[in-house]
Amino acid sequence: MEKVIETQELSLNYGDFNALSNVNLPIYRNKVTALIGPSGCGKSTFLRCLNRMNDLIDNVKVDGIIRFNGEPVQGVGVDVIELRKKVGMVFQKPNPFPMSIFDNVAYGPRQQGIKDKATLKGIVEKALKQAALYNEVKDRMTESATRLSGGQQQRLCIARALAMEPEVLLMDEPTSALDPMATQRIEELIEELKKDYTIVIVTHSMQQAARISDNTAFFLLGEIIEFGQTSEIFANPRDKRTEDYITGRFG
Amino acid sequence: MKGTRTSLSQIDTIVGSLLMILALVASSFIVIIAAFITIRGILPFITDNNGLGSVNVLQFLTDTVWLRGTTFLSTAYGAGFVIINTLYIAFLTVLMSFPIGVLTALFIAKVAPRPIAATMRTIIELLASIPSIVFGLVGVGLFLPVIYGIARSMGYSSGGGSSVIATVFVLSLMSIPTITAVAEVSIRQVDESLEQASLALGASPTQTRFKITLLAAKSGIFSGAILAVGRSLGEATAVALVSGNARSGPSFGLFETTATITSTLLQGLKETNGIDYDIRFSLGILLMVVILTTNLGLNFIKRKVGNVHG
Repeated sequence: MEKVIETQELSLNYGDFNALSNVNLPIYRNKVTALIGPSGCGKSTFLRCLNRMNDLIDNVKVDGIIRFNGEPVQGVGVDVIELRKKVGMVFQKPNPFPMSIFDNVAYGPRQQGIKDKATLKGIVEKALKQAALYNEVKDRMTESATRLSGGQQQRLCIARALAMEPEVLLMDEPTSALDPMATQRIEELIEELKKDYTIVIVTHSMQQAARISDNTAFFLLGEIIEFGQTSEIFANPRDKRTEDYITGRFG
Repeated sequence: MKGTRTSLSQIDTIVGSLLMILALVASSFIVIIAAFITIRGILPFITDNNGLGSVNVLQFLTDTVWLRGTTFLSTAYGAGFVIINTLYIAFLTVLMSFPIGVLTALFIAKVAPRPIAATMRTIIELLASIPSIVFGLVGVGLFLPVIYGIARSMGYSSGGGSSVIATVFVLSLMSIPTITAVAEVSIRQVDESLEQASLALGASPTQTRFKITLLAAKSGIFSGAILAVGRSLGEATAVALVSGNARSGPSFGLFETTATITSTLLQGLKETNGIDYDIRFSLGILLMVVILTTNLGLNFIKRKVGNVHG
Protein backbone atom coordinates (compact mmCIF):
# COMPACT_ATOMS: atom_id res chain seq x y z
CA MET A 1 0.00 0.00 0.00
CA GLU A 2 1.27 3.44 -0.95
CA LYS A 3 1.82 5.96 1.79
CA VAL A 4 0.66 9.49 0.90
CA ILE A 5 1.61 10.99 4.23
CA GLU A 6 3.98 9.70 6.82
CA THR A 7 5.09 11.11 10.15
CA GLN A 8 8.16 10.08 12.09
CA GLU A 9 8.78 10.94 15.73
CA LEU A 10 6.45 13.90 15.39
CA SER A 11 6.08 15.99 18.52
CA LEU A 12 4.41 19.32 19.10
CA ASN A 13 4.53 21.78 21.99
CA TYR A 14 2.34 24.78 22.75
CA GLY A 15 4.76 26.77 24.88
CA ASP A 16 5.44 24.37 27.75
CA PHE A 17 2.51 22.09 27.01
CA ASN A 18 3.37 18.90 25.19
CA ALA A 19 0.45 18.16 22.83
CA LEU A 20 1.99 15.40 20.70
CA SER A 21 4.97 13.18 21.32
CA ASN A 22 6.66 10.60 19.14
CA VAL A 23 3.80 10.15 16.69
CA ASN A 24 4.61 7.73 13.86
CA LEU A 25 1.70 7.31 11.51
CA PRO A 26 1.32 6.29 7.87
CA ILE A 27 -1.64 7.54 5.84
CA TYR A 28 -2.39 5.20 2.93
CA ARG A 29 -3.66 6.29 -0.46
CA ASN A 30 -7.40 5.98 -1.16
CA LYS A 31 -8.07 4.80 2.36
CA VAL A 32 -10.04 6.41 5.15
CA THR A 33 -7.92 6.81 8.24
CA ALA A 34 -9.83 7.58 11.44
CA LEU A 35 -8.20 9.34 14.39
CA ILE A 36 -10.02 8.52 17.62
CA GLY A 37 -9.43 9.27 21.27
CA PRO A 38 -10.82 11.34 24.14
CA SER A 39 -11.00 15.16 24.04
CA GLY A 40 -7.62 16.81 24.29
CA CYS A 41 -5.73 13.69 23.18
CA GLY A 42 -4.07 15.55 20.31
CA LYS A 43 -5.93 14.06 17.35
CA SER A 44 -7.09 17.44 15.97
CA THR A 45 -3.66 18.94 16.63
CA PHE A 46 -2.14 16.07 14.65
CA LEU A 47 -4.60 16.63 11.80
CA ARG A 48 -3.66 20.31 11.67
CA CYS A 49 0.03 19.42 11.38
CA LEU A 50 -0.67 17.76 8.06
CA ASN A 51 -1.68 21.02 6.31
CA ARG A 52 0.29 23.20 8.71
CA MET A 53 -2.74 25.01 10.12
CA ASN A 54 -0.90 25.03 13.45
CA ASP A 55 1.34 27.71 11.95
CA LEU A 56 -1.44 30.16 12.77
CA ILE A 57 -1.05 29.64 16.51
CA ASP A 58 1.67 31.47 18.43
CA ASN A 59 4.32 29.55 20.37
CA VAL A 60 3.88 26.27 18.53
CA LYS A 61 6.98 24.18 18.06
CA VAL A 62 6.90 21.11 15.83
CA ASP A 63 9.69 18.52 15.86
CA GLY A 64 10.10 15.36 13.86
CA ILE A 65 9.37 14.57 10.26
CA ILE A 66 6.16 14.87 8.23
CA ARG A 67 6.36 13.76 4.62
CA PHE A 68 3.74 14.31 1.95
CA ASN A 69 4.46 12.21 -1.16
CA GLY A 70 7.96 11.80 0.21
CA GLU A 71 8.60 15.54 0.47
CA PRO A 72 9.04 17.25 3.84
CA VAL A 73 6.09 19.37 4.99
CA GLN A 74 7.86 21.24 7.77
CA GLY A 75 10.75 23.61 7.44
CA VAL A 76 11.91 26.69 5.62
CA GLY A 77 11.40 26.77 1.88
CA VAL A 78 8.30 24.58 1.95
CA ASP A 79 5.49 26.28 0.03
CA VAL A 80 2.57 26.15 2.48
CA ILE A 81 0.13 27.32 -0.18
CA GLU A 82 1.11 24.47 -2.53
CA LEU A 83 0.73 22.04 0.37
CA ARG A 84 -2.72 23.33 1.29
CA LYS A 85 -3.84 23.14 -2.33
CA LYS A 86 -3.12 19.41 -2.25
CA VAL A 87 -4.22 18.74 1.31
CA GLY A 88 -7.73 20.11 1.72
CA MET A 89 -9.60 20.53 5.00
CA VAL A 90 -13.17 20.36 6.25
CA PHE A 91 -13.89 21.85 9.65
CA GLN A 92 -15.98 20.79 12.62
CA LYS A 93 -18.61 23.47 12.23
CA PRO A 94 -19.85 24.13 8.69
CA ASN A 95 -18.24 27.45 7.76
CA PRO A 96 -19.45 28.60 4.35
CA PHE A 97 -18.27 32.06 3.34
CA PRO A 98 -20.93 34.79 3.40
CA MET A 99 -21.30 34.69 -0.39
CA SER A 100 -23.26 32.73 -2.97
CA ILE A 101 -23.14 28.94 -3.31
CA PHE A 102 -21.28 29.28 -6.60
CA ASP A 103 -18.78 31.79 -5.24
CA ASN A 104 -18.06 29.57 -2.24
CA VAL A 105 -16.98 26.67 -4.42
CA ALA A 106 -15.21 28.92 -6.91
CA TYR A 107 -13.30 30.74 -4.16
CA GLY A 108 -10.25 28.47 -4.02
CA PRO A 109 -9.68 28.25 -7.80
CA ARG A 110 -10.23 32.00 -8.13
CA GLN A 111 -7.46 32.72 -5.61
CA GLN A 112 -5.16 30.69 -7.86
CA GLY A 113 -5.95 33.09 -10.68
CA ILE A 114 -8.61 31.12 -12.59
CA LYS A 115 -10.95 33.74 -14.05
CA ASP A 116 -12.51 32.09 -17.09
CA LYS A 117 -16.24 31.73 -16.42
CA ALA A 118 -16.71 28.48 -18.32
CA THR A 119 -13.74 26.88 -16.56
CA LEU A 120 -15.00 27.98 -13.16
CA LYS A 121 -18.50 26.73 -13.94
CA GLY A 122 -17.07 23.36 -14.87
CA ILE A 123 -15.00 23.15 -11.68
CA VAL A 124 -17.93 24.20 -9.48
CA GLU A 125 -20.36 21.73 -11.04
CA LYS A 126 -17.90 18.86 -10.80
CA ALA A 127 -17.11 19.60 -7.16
CA LEU A 128 -20.79 19.95 -6.23
CA LYS A 129 -21.58 16.65 -7.97
CA GLN A 130 -18.74 14.92 -6.13
CA ALA A 131 -20.08 16.29 -2.86
CA ALA A 132 -23.57 15.00 -3.73
CA LEU A 133 -25.01 18.49 -3.47
CA TYR A 134 -25.42 19.47 -7.11
CA ASN A 135 -29.02 18.32 -7.58
CA GLU A 136 -30.17 20.21 -4.50
CA VAL A 137 -28.55 23.52 -5.42
CA LYS A 138 -28.28 23.58 -9.22
CA ASP A 139 -31.18 26.05 -9.55
CA ARG A 140 -30.03 28.32 -6.72
CA MET A 141 -26.33 28.81 -7.37
CA THR A 142 -26.56 32.57 -6.79
CA GLU A 143 -28.34 32.22 -3.46
CA SER A 144 -26.48 32.82 -0.24
CA ALA A 145 -24.70 29.73 1.06
CA THR A 146 -25.70 30.64 4.60
CA ARG A 147 -29.34 29.86 3.74
CA LEU A 148 -28.56 26.17 3.22
CA SER A 149 -29.27 23.65 5.99
CA GLY A 150 -26.41 22.57 8.25
CA GLY A 151 -25.86 19.30 6.40
CA GLN A 152 -25.98 21.03 3.03
CA GLN A 153 -23.53 23.65 4.31
CA GLN A 154 -21.10 20.93 5.33
CA ARG A 155 -21.38 19.22 1.94
CA LEU A 156 -20.80 22.65 0.37
CA CYS A 157 -17.63 22.98 2.45
CA ILE A 158 -16.56 19.55 1.18
CA ALA A 159 -17.30 20.68 -2.40
CA ARG A 160 -15.31 23.86 -1.74
CA ALA A 161 -12.31 21.75 -0.70
CA LEU A 162 -12.77 19.33 -3.63
CA ALA A 163 -12.76 22.23 -6.11
CA MET A 164 -9.01 22.51 -5.47
CA GLU A 165 -8.64 18.87 -6.62
CA PRO A 166 -6.62 17.91 -3.56
CA GLU A 167 -5.05 14.49 -3.02
CA VAL A 168 -5.88 14.34 0.66
CA LEU A 169 -8.96 15.54 2.51
CA LEU A 170 -8.57 16.26 6.22
CA MET A 171 -11.86 16.20 8.13
CA ASP A 172 -12.00 17.51 11.68
CA GLU A 173 -15.12 15.96 13.26
CA PRO A 174 -17.16 16.94 10.18
CA THR A 175 -20.47 15.57 11.48
CA SER A 176 -20.35 16.60 15.14
CA ALA A 177 -22.58 19.63 14.48
CA LEU A 178 -25.05 17.72 12.30
CA ASP A 179 -28.22 15.71 12.90
CA PRO A 180 -28.24 11.91 12.30
CA MET A 181 -29.73 12.16 8.80
CA ALA A 182 -27.17 14.70 7.64
CA THR A 183 -24.44 12.66 9.33
CA GLN A 184 -25.48 9.58 7.37
CA ARG A 185 -25.31 11.48 4.09
CA ILE A 186 -21.80 12.73 4.88
CA GLU A 187 -20.71 9.20 5.79
CA GLU A 188 -22.07 7.84 2.51
CA LEU A 189 -20.25 10.64 0.76
CA ILE A 190 -16.96 9.71 2.45
CA GLU A 191 -17.40 6.11 1.21
CA GLU A 192 -17.81 7.50 -2.29
CA LEU A 193 -14.93 10.00 -2.07
CA LYS A 194 -12.27 7.52 -1.01
CA LYS A 195 -12.23 6.15 -4.56
CA ASP A 196 -10.53 9.36 -5.64
CA TYR A 197 -9.14 10.84 -2.45
CA THR A 198 -7.23 9.91 0.65
CA ILE A 199 -9.22 10.85 3.74
CA VAL A 200 -8.09 11.49 7.29
CA ILE A 201 -10.99 11.97 9.67
CA VAL A 202 -11.02 12.97 13.32
CA THR A 203 -14.10 11.63 15.05
CA HIS A 204 -15.54 11.41 18.52
CA SER A 205 -17.86 8.65 17.49
CA MET A 206 -16.49 5.11 17.70
CA GLN A 207 -19.40 3.86 15.60
CA GLN A 208 -18.52 6.35 12.91
CA ALA A 209 -14.89 5.24 12.88
CA ALA A 210 -16.00 1.60 12.71
CA ARG A 211 -18.48 2.31 9.89
CA ILE A 212 -16.41 4.38 7.51
CA SER A 213 -12.69 3.92 8.13
CA ASP A 214 -10.18 1.40 6.84
CA ASN A 215 -7.49 2.21 9.37
CA THR A 216 -7.78 3.63 12.85
CA ALA A 217 -5.30 5.36 15.11
CA PHE A 218 -6.11 5.62 18.80
CA PHE A 219 -4.63 8.71 20.48
CA LEU A 220 -4.21 9.20 24.19
CA LEU A 221 -2.41 12.10 25.88
CA GLY A 222 -0.60 13.07 22.70
CA GLU A 223 0.65 9.61 21.84
CA ILE A 224 -0.56 6.93 19.48
CA ILE A 225 -1.48 3.93 21.59
CA GLU A 226 -2.51 1.74 18.73
CA PHE A 227 -2.74 1.89 14.96
CA GLY A 228 -4.00 -0.73 12.55
CA GLN A 229 -6.85 -1.92 10.40
CA THR A 230 -10.13 -0.69 11.81
CA SER A 231 -11.68 -4.18 11.87
CA GLU A 232 -8.63 -5.42 13.78
CA ILE A 233 -8.59 -2.56 16.29
CA PHE A 234 -12.26 -2.90 17.09
CA ALA A 235 -12.31 -6.72 17.18
CA ASN A 236 -8.99 -7.46 18.86
CA PRO A 237 -7.44 -4.40 20.46
CA ARG A 238 -3.89 -5.22 21.53
CA ASP A 239 -3.69 -2.56 24.21
CA LYS A 240 -5.87 -2.57 27.32
CA ARG A 241 -6.38 1.22 27.05
CA THR A 242 -7.68 0.90 23.49
CA GLU A 243 -10.10 -1.76 24.61
CA ASP A 244 -11.27 0.37 27.53
CA TYR A 245 -11.85 3.34 25.25
CA ILE A 246 -13.70 1.57 22.45
CA THR A 247 -15.88 -0.31 24.91
CA GLY A 248 -16.83 3.00 26.44
CA ARG A 249 -15.11 2.57 29.79
CA PHE A 250 -13.67 6.11 29.52
CA GLY A 251 -13.57 9.04 27.08
CA MET B 1 -42.05 33.42 50.62
CA LYS B 2 -45.30 34.48 49.04
CA GLY B 3 -44.97 38.01 50.42
CA THR B 4 -41.45 38.39 49.02
CA ARG B 5 -42.56 37.30 45.60
CA THR B 6 -45.41 39.82 45.53
CA SER B 7 -43.18 42.72 46.55
CA LEU B 8 -40.59 41.67 43.95
CA SER B 9 -43.20 41.74 41.23
CA GLN B 10 -44.41 45.11 42.50
CA ILE B 11 -40.87 46.45 42.19
CA ASP B 12 -40.79 45.08 38.65
CA THR B 13 -43.94 46.99 37.79
CA ILE B 14 -42.65 50.24 39.34
CA VAL B 15 -39.23 50.01 37.66
CA GLY B 16 -40.91 49.14 34.39
CA SER B 17 -43.16 52.20 34.49
CA LEU B 18 -40.25 54.44 35.55
CA LEU B 19 -38.18 53.27 32.61
CA MET B 20 -41.10 53.88 30.29
CA ILE B 21 -41.60 57.42 31.59
CA LEU B 22 -37.89 58.18 31.14
CA ALA B 23 -37.95 56.78 27.62
CA LEU B 24 -41.00 58.88 26.79
CA VAL B 25 -39.37 62.05 28.15
CA ALA B 26 -36.16 61.39 26.21
CA SER B 27 -37.94 60.69 22.97
CA SER B 28 -40.29 63.63 23.37
CA PHE B 29 -37.25 65.94 23.35
CA ILE B 30 -36.65 64.95 19.75
CA VAL B 31 -40.22 65.89 18.90
CA ILE B 32 -39.94 69.19 20.79
CA ILE B 33 -36.65 70.10 19.07
CA ALA B 34 -37.98 69.23 15.64
CA ALA B 35 -41.20 71.15 16.26
CA PHE B 36 -39.39 74.23 17.57
CA ILE B 37 -36.93 74.41 14.68
CA THR B 38 -39.70 73.81 12.18
CA ILE B 39 -41.96 76.54 13.59
CA ARG B 40 -39.13 79.08 13.77
CA GLY B 41 -37.77 78.05 10.39
CA ILE B 42 -41.09 78.49 8.63
CA LEU B 43 -41.42 82.19 9.68
CA PRO B 44 -39.33 83.69 6.82
CA PHE B 45 -41.58 81.94 4.31
CA ILE B 46 -44.94 82.97 5.76
CA THR B 47 -44.33 86.46 7.22
CA ASP B 48 -43.38 89.60 5.26
CA ASN B 49 -40.08 89.91 7.21
CA ASN B 50 -40.60 93.56 8.27
CA GLY B 51 -41.61 94.70 4.84
CA LEU B 52 -39.01 92.83 2.79
CA GLY B 53 -41.58 90.32 1.61
CA SER B 54 -41.62 86.61 2.26
CA VAL B 55 -38.93 84.21 1.05
CA ASN B 56 -39.98 81.95 -1.80
CA VAL B 57 -39.63 78.29 -0.76
CA LEU B 58 -38.66 77.12 -4.23
CA GLN B 59 -36.01 79.84 -4.53
CA PHE B 60 -34.73 78.99 -1.08
CA LEU B 61 -34.27 75.35 -2.13
CA THR B 62 -32.81 75.93 -5.59
CA ASP B 63 -31.11 79.35 -5.86
CA THR B 64 -27.37 79.70 -5.89
CA VAL B 65 -26.78 82.98 -4.05
CA TRP B 66 -26.91 83.51 -0.30
CA LEU B 67 -26.72 87.20 0.65
CA ARG B 68 -25.54 86.85 4.20
CA GLY B 69 -25.51 89.70 6.70
CA THR B 70 -27.57 92.78 7.36
CA THR B 71 -25.67 94.88 4.79
CA PHE B 72 -27.62 93.55 1.85
CA LEU B 73 -30.99 93.18 3.48
CA SER B 74 -33.05 91.22 0.98
CA THR B 75 -34.93 87.98 0.60
CA ALA B 76 -32.19 86.53 -1.63
CA TYR B 77 -31.49 83.41 0.35
CA GLY B 78 -30.90 80.56 -2.06
CA ALA B 79 -29.59 77.45 -0.34
CA GLY B 80 -29.56 75.24 -3.43
CA PHE B 81 -25.81 75.51 -3.85
CA VAL B 82 -25.31 75.00 -0.13
CA ILE B 83 -27.18 71.68 -0.25
CA ILE B 84 -25.09 70.53 -3.21
CA ASN B 85 -21.86 71.64 -1.52
CA THR B 86 -22.79 69.81 1.66
CA LEU B 87 -23.44 66.52 -0.10
CA TYR B 88 -20.39 66.96 -2.35
CA ILE B 89 -18.10 67.54 0.62
CA ALA B 90 -19.57 64.62 2.55
CA PHE B 91 -19.03 62.43 -0.51
CA LEU B 92 -15.40 63.52 -0.95
CA THR B 93 -14.78 63.06 2.76
CA VAL B 94 -16.04 59.49 2.68
CA LEU B 95 -14.10 58.84 -0.51
CA MET B 96 -10.94 59.89 1.27
CA SER B 97 -11.46 58.67 4.82
CA PHE B 98 -13.22 55.34 4.15
CA PRO B 99 -10.31 53.48 2.48
CA ILE B 100 -7.76 54.93 4.88
CA GLY B 101 -9.90 54.12 7.92
CA VAL B 102 -10.78 50.58 6.84
CA LEU B 103 -7.22 49.68 5.84
CA THR B 104 -5.91 51.08 9.12
CA ALA B 105 -8.47 48.96 10.96
CA LEU B 106 -7.43 45.88 8.99
CA PHE B 107 -3.82 46.54 9.89
CA ILE B 108 -4.55 46.99 13.59
CA ALA B 109 -6.85 43.98 13.82
CA LYS B 110 -4.99 41.47 11.67
CA VAL B 111 -1.47 42.48 10.74
CA ALA B 112 0.11 44.54 13.51
CA PRO B 113 2.00 42.76 16.29
CA ARG B 114 0.09 42.91 19.57
CA PRO B 115 1.94 45.80 21.29
CA ILE B 116 1.76 47.99 18.18
CA ALA B 117 -1.92 47.16 17.73
CA ALA B 118 -2.66 48.10 21.35
CA THR B 119 -0.81 51.41 21.00
CA MET B 120 -2.54 52.26 17.74
CA ARG B 121 -5.93 51.37 19.19
CA THR B 122 -5.32 53.85 22.04
CA ILE B 123 -4.22 56.55 19.60
CA ILE B 124 -7.32 56.03 17.47
CA GLU B 125 -9.57 56.25 20.53
CA LEU B 126 -7.81 59.47 21.62
CA LEU B 127 -8.16 60.94 18.12
CA ALA B 128 -11.87 60.10 18.11
CA SER B 129 -12.34 62.02 21.36
CA ILE B 130 -10.59 65.25 20.28
CA PRO B 131 -13.13 68.10 19.99
CA SER B 132 -13.82 69.19 16.43
CA ILE B 133 -12.68 72.77 17.06
CA VAL B 134 -9.15 71.43 17.55
CA PHE B 135 -9.28 69.83 14.13
CA GLY B 136 -10.53 73.19 12.85
CA LEU B 137 -7.51 74.93 14.41
CA VAL B 138 -5.16 72.45 12.76
CA GLY B 139 -6.95 73.18 9.52
CA VAL B 140 -6.58 76.94 9.90
CA GLY B 141 -3.02 76.93 11.20
CA LEU B 142 -1.55 74.11 9.14
CA PHE B 143 -3.62 73.23 6.09
CA LEU B 144 -4.71 76.68 4.93
CA PRO B 145 -1.19 78.14 4.43
CA VAL B 146 -0.02 74.95 2.69
CA ILE B 147 -3.07 74.80 0.42
CA TYR B 148 -2.77 78.51 -0.29
CA GLY B 149 0.85 78.00 -1.36
CA ILE B 150 0.07 74.97 -3.51
CA ALA B 151 -2.92 76.67 -5.14
CA ARG B 152 -0.81 79.72 -5.98
CA SER B 153 2.04 77.69 -7.40
CA MET B 154 -0.48 75.92 -9.63
CA GLY B 155 -1.96 79.20 -10.76
CA TYR B 156 -5.24 78.96 -8.89
CA SER B 157 -6.52 81.63 -6.60
CA SER B 158 -7.87 80.48 -3.27
CA GLY B 159 -9.31 82.54 -0.46
CA GLY B 160 -6.25 82.27 1.76
CA GLY B 161 -6.41 78.50 1.42
CA SER B 162 -10.02 78.24 2.54
CA SER B 163 -11.33 75.71 0.11
CA VAL B 164 -13.19 72.50 -0.64
CA ILE B 165 -9.99 70.52 -0.20
CA ALA B 166 -9.23 72.10 3.20
CA THR B 167 -12.73 71.27 4.38
CA VAL B 168 -12.45 67.69 3.12
CA PHE B 169 -9.07 67.27 4.84
CA VAL B 170 -10.35 68.52 8.18
CA LEU B 171 -13.50 66.39 7.99
CA SER B 172 -11.47 63.34 6.93
CA LEU B 173 -9.15 63.79 9.91
CA MET B 174 -12.24 63.75 12.10
CA SER B 175 -13.87 60.80 10.32
CA ILE B 176 -10.93 58.43 10.04
CA PRO B 177 -10.77 57.59 13.78
CA THR B 178 -14.51 56.86 13.83
CA ILE B 179 -14.36 54.65 10.75
CA THR B 180 -11.24 52.90 12.03
CA ALA B 181 -12.60 52.25 15.52
CA VAL B 182 -15.92 50.83 14.33
CA ALA B 183 -14.36 48.80 11.50
CA GLU B 184 -11.65 47.41 13.77
CA VAL B 185 -14.20 46.05 16.23
CA SER B 186 -16.21 44.37 13.49
CA ILE B 187 -13.09 42.95 11.82
CA ARG B 188 -11.99 41.42 15.12
CA GLN B 189 -15.43 39.84 15.51
CA VAL B 190 -15.17 37.94 12.22
CA ASP B 191 -15.45 34.20 12.80
CA GLU B 192 -11.88 32.90 12.68
CA SER B 193 -13.05 29.64 11.19
CA LEU B 194 -13.90 31.53 7.96
CA GLU B 195 -10.35 32.82 7.71
CA GLN B 196 -8.99 29.36 8.47
CA ALA B 197 -11.18 27.86 5.75
CA SER B 198 -9.77 30.36 3.28
CA LEU B 199 -6.16 29.64 4.28
CA ALA B 200 -6.83 25.90 4.16
CA LEU B 201 -7.95 26.35 0.55
CA GLY B 202 -4.52 27.66 -0.32
CA ALA B 203 -5.40 31.36 -0.26
CA SER B 204 -2.63 33.63 1.00
CA PRO B 205 -3.11 35.64 4.21
CA THR B 206 -3.46 38.82 2.13
CA GLN B 207 -6.12 37.26 -0.11
CA THR B 208 -7.89 36.00 3.00
CA ARG B 209 -7.90 39.44 4.65
CA PHE B 210 -9.25 41.27 1.63
CA LYS B 211 -11.65 38.65 0.25
CA ILE B 212 -12.99 37.03 3.42
CA THR B 213 -12.29 39.14 6.50
CA LEU B 214 -13.46 42.43 5.00
CA LEU B 215 -16.43 40.72 3.35
CA ALA B 216 -17.55 39.14 6.62
CA ALA B 217 -17.12 42.44 8.48
CA LYS B 218 -18.83 44.59 5.85
CA SER B 219 -21.94 45.32 7.86
CA GLY B 220 -19.96 46.84 10.74
CA ILE B 221 -17.61 48.61 8.35
CA PHE B 222 -20.61 50.17 6.65
CA SER B 223 -21.98 51.34 10.01
CA GLY B 224 -18.72 53.19 10.60
CA ALA B 225 -19.02 54.88 7.24
CA ILE B 226 -22.59 55.96 8.07
CA LEU B 227 -21.38 57.51 11.34
CA ALA B 228 -18.64 59.31 9.41
CA VAL B 229 -21.12 60.68 6.88
CA GLY B 230 -23.27 61.90 9.76
CA ARG B 231 -20.32 63.65 11.30
CA SER B 232 -19.31 65.26 8.01
CA LEU B 233 -22.84 66.52 7.39
CA GLY B 234 -23.30 67.81 10.93
CA GLU B 235 -19.93 69.38 11.71
CA ALA B 236 -20.20 73.19 11.88
CA THR B 237 -17.34 74.96 13.65
CA ALA B 238 -14.37 73.24 12.06
CA VAL B 239 -15.98 73.59 8.64
CA ALA B 240 -16.78 77.28 9.19
CA LEU B 241 -13.09 77.88 9.95
CA VAL B 242 -11.72 76.42 6.73
CA SER B 243 -14.48 76.49 4.11
CA GLY B 244 -14.28 80.18 3.23
CA ASN B 245 -18.05 80.55 3.69
CA ALA B 246 -18.80 81.22 0.05
CA ARG B 247 -21.92 83.23 -0.77
CA SER B 248 -22.60 81.53 -4.04
CA GLY B 249 -21.86 78.27 -5.74
CA PRO B 250 -21.90 75.34 -6.00
CA SER B 251 -18.14 74.88 -5.71
CA PHE B 252 -16.77 71.77 -7.32
CA GLY B 253 -13.17 72.89 -7.84
CA LEU B 254 -10.95 71.66 -5.01
CA PHE B 255 -9.38 75.11 -4.43
CA GLU B 256 -12.66 77.05 -4.55
CA THR B 257 -14.11 78.43 -1.36
CA THR B 258 -17.26 76.67 -0.31
CA ALA B 259 -20.07 76.71 2.24
CA THR B 260 -22.06 73.92 3.81
CA ILE B 261 -25.46 74.03 5.49
CA THR B 262 -23.83 74.03 8.92
CA SER B 263 -21.18 76.65 8.18
CA THR B 264 -23.75 78.95 6.55
CA LEU B 265 -26.03 78.52 9.53
CA LEU B 266 -23.26 79.32 11.99
CA GLN B 267 -21.51 82.20 10.20
CA GLY B 268 -22.34 85.44 12.01
CA LEU B 269 -25.39 83.98 13.71
CA LYS B 270 -24.94 86.02 16.87
CA GLU B 271 -24.19 89.32 15.13
CA THR B 272 -27.28 89.56 13.02
CA ASN B 273 -31.02 90.02 13.33
CA GLY B 274 -34.25 90.13 11.40
CA ILE B 275 -34.65 87.86 8.41
CA ASP B 276 -30.90 87.13 8.32
CA TYR B 277 -31.32 85.62 11.77
CA ASP B 278 -34.63 83.86 11.20
CA ILE B 279 -33.45 82.22 7.99
CA ARG B 280 -30.85 80.25 10.02
CA PHE B 281 -33.71 78.26 11.49
CA SER B 282 -34.87 77.43 7.98
CA LEU B 283 -31.37 76.09 7.37
CA GLY B 284 -31.85 74.05 10.55
CA ILE B 285 -34.90 72.36 9.02
CA LEU B 286 -32.92 71.76 5.85
CA LEU B 287 -30.04 70.21 7.78
CA MET B 288 -32.37 67.87 9.67
CA VAL B 289 -34.06 66.79 6.45
CA VAL B 290 -30.76 66.25 4.63
CA ILE B 291 -29.26 64.20 7.49
CA LEU B 292 -32.44 62.19 7.96
CA THR B 293 -32.82 61.29 4.29
CA THR B 294 -29.10 60.52 3.91
CA ASN B 295 -29.23 58.23 6.94
CA LEU B 296 -32.37 56.50 5.74
CA GLY B 297 -30.85 56.07 2.29
CA LEU B 298 -27.55 54.70 3.62
CA ASN B 299 -29.33 52.34 6.01
CA PHE B 300 -31.44 51.11 3.14
CA ILE B 301 -28.29 50.43 1.10
CA LYS B 302 -26.69 48.78 4.12
CA ARG B 303 -29.63 46.42 4.50
CA LYS B 304 -29.53 45.61 0.79
CA VAL B 305 -25.79 45.03 0.78
CA GLY B 306 -25.83 43.19 4.09
CA ASN B 307 -28.68 40.89 3.13
CA VAL B 308 -27.33 39.62 -0.16
CA HIS B 309 -25.29 36.89 1.45
CA GLY B 310 -25.45 37.81 5.12
